[in-house]
Parts: sequence; C-alpha cells; structure tokens
Amino acid sequence: MVPVPGGTVTIDGKQVKVEPFLIGKTEVTWDMYDVFELALDTAKGSTGSPADAIARPSRPYAAPDYGWGHAGNPAISIARTGAQAFAEWLSAKTGKKYRLATEAEWAHAAQLATKNGASIDQLAWHEGNAEAKTHPVGTKKPDALGLFDLFGNAAEWVTTGDPEAYVTRGGSFRDPAKALGPNARALQDDSWNARDPQLPKSRWWLSDGPFVGFRLVREP
Amino acid sequence: MTKSEANSVSRRTFVQTTAAATAAMMWPGGVHIQGSDVIRVGVIGCGGRGSGAAVDVMRSSDGVEVVALGDLMPDRLALARTTLTKEISGEPALKAKYKVTDDTCFTGFDAFQKVLATDVNYVILATPPAFRPTHLAAAVAAGKHIFTEKPVAVDSAGIRSVLETYKLAVQKGLGIGAGTQRRHQAEYLPAIKRIHDGAIGDVLSGQVFWNQGGLWNQARQPSWSDAEWQLRNWLYFTWLSGDHIVEQHVHNIDVANWVLKAHPIKATGVGGRQWRTDPKYGHIFDHFGIDFEYPNGARVMSMCRQIDRTAGRIAEDFIGSKGRAFLADRAPSRIVGQNAWTLEKPGKPFVSPYVQEHTNLIVSIRSGKPYNELQQVAESTLTAIMGREAAYTGQEITWDEILKADMDLTPPNLAFGPLAVPPVPMPGVTKMSRRFLDT
Repeated sequence: MVPVPGGTVTIDGKQVKVEPFLIGKTEVTWDMYDVFELALDTAKGSTGSPADAIARPSRPYAAPDYGWGHAGNPAISIARTGAQAFAEWLSAKTGKKYRLATEAEWAHAAQLATKNGASIDQLAWHEGNAEAKTHPVGTKKPDALGLFDLFGNAAEWVTTGDPEAYVTRGGSFRDPAKALGPNARALQDDSWNARDPQLPKSRWWLSDGPFVGFRLVREP
Repeated sequence: MTKSEANSVSRRTFVQTTAAATAAMMWPGGVHIQGSDVIRVGVIGCGGRGSGAAVDVMRSSDGVEVVALGDLMPDRLALARTTLTKEISGEPALKAKYKVTDDTCFTGFDAFQKVLATDVNYVILATPPAFRPTHLAAAVAAGKHIFTEKPVAVDSAGIRSVLETYKLAVQKGLGIGAGTQRRHQAEYLPAIKRIHDGAIGDVLSGQVFWNQGGLWNQARQPSWSDAEWQLRNWLYFTWLSGDHIVEQHVHNIDVANWVLKAHPIKATGVGGRQWRTDPKYGHIFDHFGIDFEYPNGARVMSMCRQIDRTAGRIAEDFIGSKGRAFLADRAPSRIVGQNAWTLEKPGKPFVSPYVQEHTNLIVSIRSGKPYNELQQVAESTLTAIMGREAAYTGQEITWDEILKADMDLTPPNLAFGPLAVPPVPMPGVTKMSRRFLDT
C-alpha cells in the first residue's frame, strides 16, 4: 500500500476534502481473489475467524479471466458486490480496514499520480497497445505516486454517496489512450452483464465485464 | 400402482405413452402460426437456464406470452416464479407478456406432459439433458414448435431417438431452435461466413477449448433420497448431464462442425478425474483432450477442463491453407493471413445471443418456413459423446460405432428413492455399449 496525503478534489463541481489514506500499489490480482472466491483459507474447515461469516462468490459459469492470464493479472469480470465482499473479508482476516476507494479519494490520487508528466502510453495498457486484453499488473511504468495501472488495464470500482450508482474510474484496456486519465469514468449498464444465461443473473460476476476490476484502499 | 411407480419414468415407456397420449390432443394450429398469431410459450425445466430463457423469449419478439411452467421439483418451480416476477417487475412490456397462473404450473416427472396439454404452441426444453429425447419426442408428437437447450441427449440411444424425432418434426413442418447460441451470435456469423467464403483457404485443423474452474454443487440434505440428490446435482452424473464435455464443451465442438460443415468420423482421446474426486461430485471426469478426425482429413483438437485455479480459455481457433481464424464469444473474432480481418466492436444496443436465437426462430415460424436445428445439434451432441467415450474407454471410436452403440445410460424405472452412483469410467475397462451401472 502507498500512502496518499490528504487534500481537496473537485467532484461534480463541488470541492471535496479527502483525508489521508493508503492505496494499493496494483489492482487486485486473481491469485489474491482466488483465496477469497475459492475459500482457500478455509479449505480444512472453519478457521473460527470472523471472515468465515462473509459470503463467498458463487461459481462463475464460464472463464471470467478470459484466458488472458490468471496469477498476476488483474481479477476481472468482478461485480461491485464481489469487490466489496473481498475488502470486507480481507479486513476481517487482518483486523485492518480495507475498502474500495471513494470516488473523491480515487480522483485525488489520480491527480497526484499524473504530476510527473509521464505519457499515458508509458503508464497504461490501452486500446492502442493492449491487444484487446488485460496484462499482468505492474508491467507498465509506475506513476508519480508509485502506483501501477491506475489508468487502463482494468477499470476500477469506486463508491459514491449513492449505493445505487455503480461507478468505475480510470478506464480500461478497451479505451483509447486519449480517454484514459484522472477524469475517466464509467457507469455500469445492462450490457456489462448481458450474457449471463441464467436467471437470476449473478450478483458476483459480470458476464460481459472483462474490463472491470478493482483496487483497495486502507484506512490509516 | 404404488406412488413410486406412478412417479417413475423410463425412456422407453415414456416415449410410447407420451406419443400415444399427445397424438390425441395435438394442437391443431401448431404447424401454421400466422404472422399475427400469439406465440404462447411453455417452459419445461425451470432452473436458472429455463428461467433465463423465459425472459429471453419475452424480450425477443412482440406477440409472445409465457403461459405455462413445468419442473420436476416444486421448490424449483416456486423459485422460478418468484425470480421471474422480480426480473420483469420494472418492465411493463414484459409484465404484459407473463401470463403464468397457479393453474398453468406443473410439477413432477409428468410435468412436461401437462405443459404440452395446455394451449402452448412453443415450448422451451431446459431440463437436465437426460430428459431431452423424451421431451423432444413428446413435444413434436404434440405439434409444438420447440426451443431446445443443448445438449439434446447423453447417450447413443438418446441420439437415435432425437434423430427420429427430427424426421417427424420435418414432416410436420415444426420449427426447432437449439441453444447453441453461437450460431446466432454477432461475434461468430461474419467470421464463419468469411471462413466459408475461403478467407483462410481449406481448413486443415482446429483447436477448440472450454477450460474453466469448477461449478456449483448442492450440499446433500437429510430429506433427499439418492435420486433427488443426483437430480439436484445433475452436472456430476453422466446419465443426467453427459459429463462436462457434452454438457458444456458441446458449444465449441459445435463451432468446429459448423466451420467444417461436417461431423468428425472418428475420435481418440484422454481424460480423467484428477482434482474433483470427492463423492459429492458424482462420477464424472474433470478434464478431457480429444482428437477429432473429419471426412476431409482435417483434425480438430478439443480440450475441456473444470478445475479451479487453472488457466481459463473458451475459444475456437482454426488453421487453413491461407490463414488462421481466432473465434471467441466475448472477444473480437479475427482472421490473420492474406485476408486479414478483425471484427469491429459490437455496436449498441447490444443484443444477447440468448435473445437473438428466439427472435430468429420466431421470425422463421411466422414466415411459414420454420427452421429446424435439431439434426445439427444432435450431430454436435453425438460428436461430444463420441469424444467422451473415446476418453472413457481409451479406444478409438468411429462415428458409425457411436451412432449404433448399445448405450443407454438411463436408470431403469427412475423415481425418487434409492439410486446407486455409476462407477468412475476407466480407460481400458469401460465399454462403450453399456447400461446405467455398467463399467
């Protein structure tokens, strides 16, 4: 985790104050998510940890990693429910407070991240260089904060004041370079989960969301 | 007759009784739906896929109503009704198409007959695959148009039944669409057309994959009989699902047959049960690798795996004399070589292939020239069964052998009650011609 100093950032035309926090150096990778998803921590039965009480994801119907790489690649096709449950589980495991970044925190970090003037091509996997897939985290240059892939690769879930607003920031490997940066923002729509053939559709997985992942923050 | 006899079902008696019973109540207009006629849908098998298909068909076309539901299990039917009501609650256009009432919901082993006896003219068959040959035969006998999920059988006896049903459906002019939705999918159609138009020259070989992690499992409840436990965990029993090469990987095998415009003439393969060994996973394998040989000498390597923490891959690649094609359902299809091409990003609004397959079938029915995909999906299903049997037995198996094999995996007199688990197949020992509990 990398410390981010407090500051202010403009969201929807309003100045928002951000307290200091820690942010993950990379997006959460499959080898991290697997431990939670597949309950590898409880493989020998209950551990008696408070983490045992947190629901685990259902089994995905297909291959949510799309065959683009597993260990070391960002966990993708993850619905916000899964990202938030992972943070809860990790918090229960460690006794520390992990969660998704608020949109203000993410935007604040993104502004600090772009201060060294590195080009988006150096920092990000985007439509022009990614060959239509995700890449292992940490294989582009770090940004001014020392973070990898804040822009491009997988778009990252954030939270807003409205729990019904499903928002990602940073853009993904599917976006052109010029669309990536601190202002890149997307709202989930039906197309992100259009091809789940089952009803009810999964609340854990996005059948058409291979561009969606997440990064965690930690409260100091 | 005891209760278990009343609830019992075996394929042979089933087909006979349903054919006789339903012939008497054939829906008179079943063959000739006019452009403005309402499509009245009955869903047979209301799990996650059947429920999903019910919504898909309502989204697919105007003038469609879902009117009847049938499922073996009362709790599954109740869950489907709750889920469907919730799914359409925010969409007045769909709510208006949903006409299911208590009187049009049926449970038990004979639920399908009761659905077919209503005034539906289009049925969705989405039970576990074991029941498909019986349901297809009964639905065609009753003069219904059909959307059938894949696969359409689990054994040679089932396939022979389905091929007979296909002939009868053709005679009757019934429409049958199959749940091999790639055949209706925007990512595939332009790429396949290019291949068929010669973009990669003669297709010499292919590699088709469905590699993923494990799937759901229902923990056994004390109140469940052996049979109920197997039925609720149908994925893990070859007699119910066909094993995952048939149940799931048939999608990719179907693409190979589509590209090559043929079914293979023989198969050699390997497979095993290496990771998913707990008895709660029945007796099926967790990986297969099959070499299929086609009439023109082309070879297709098929690989499927359901093992956690392994590399996922769901795709079909083909090598031709003039180039290569890379197909996948959720990535841009592309061709490399002298006719290089990449599928443009799909536009919005995105149309799900699970909806499109109903749209296309209903258009064809209303045009008076319904299409019939049953032979095609039966051949792809048998291709997958041939691959499975090559791995199970360890022998090279030809198309003629698998088509004629004396293989009927249905338990005799199936009913809720005691039911043994068939042995795990063993190459070199397992015989292709076998019954339910045979090695």
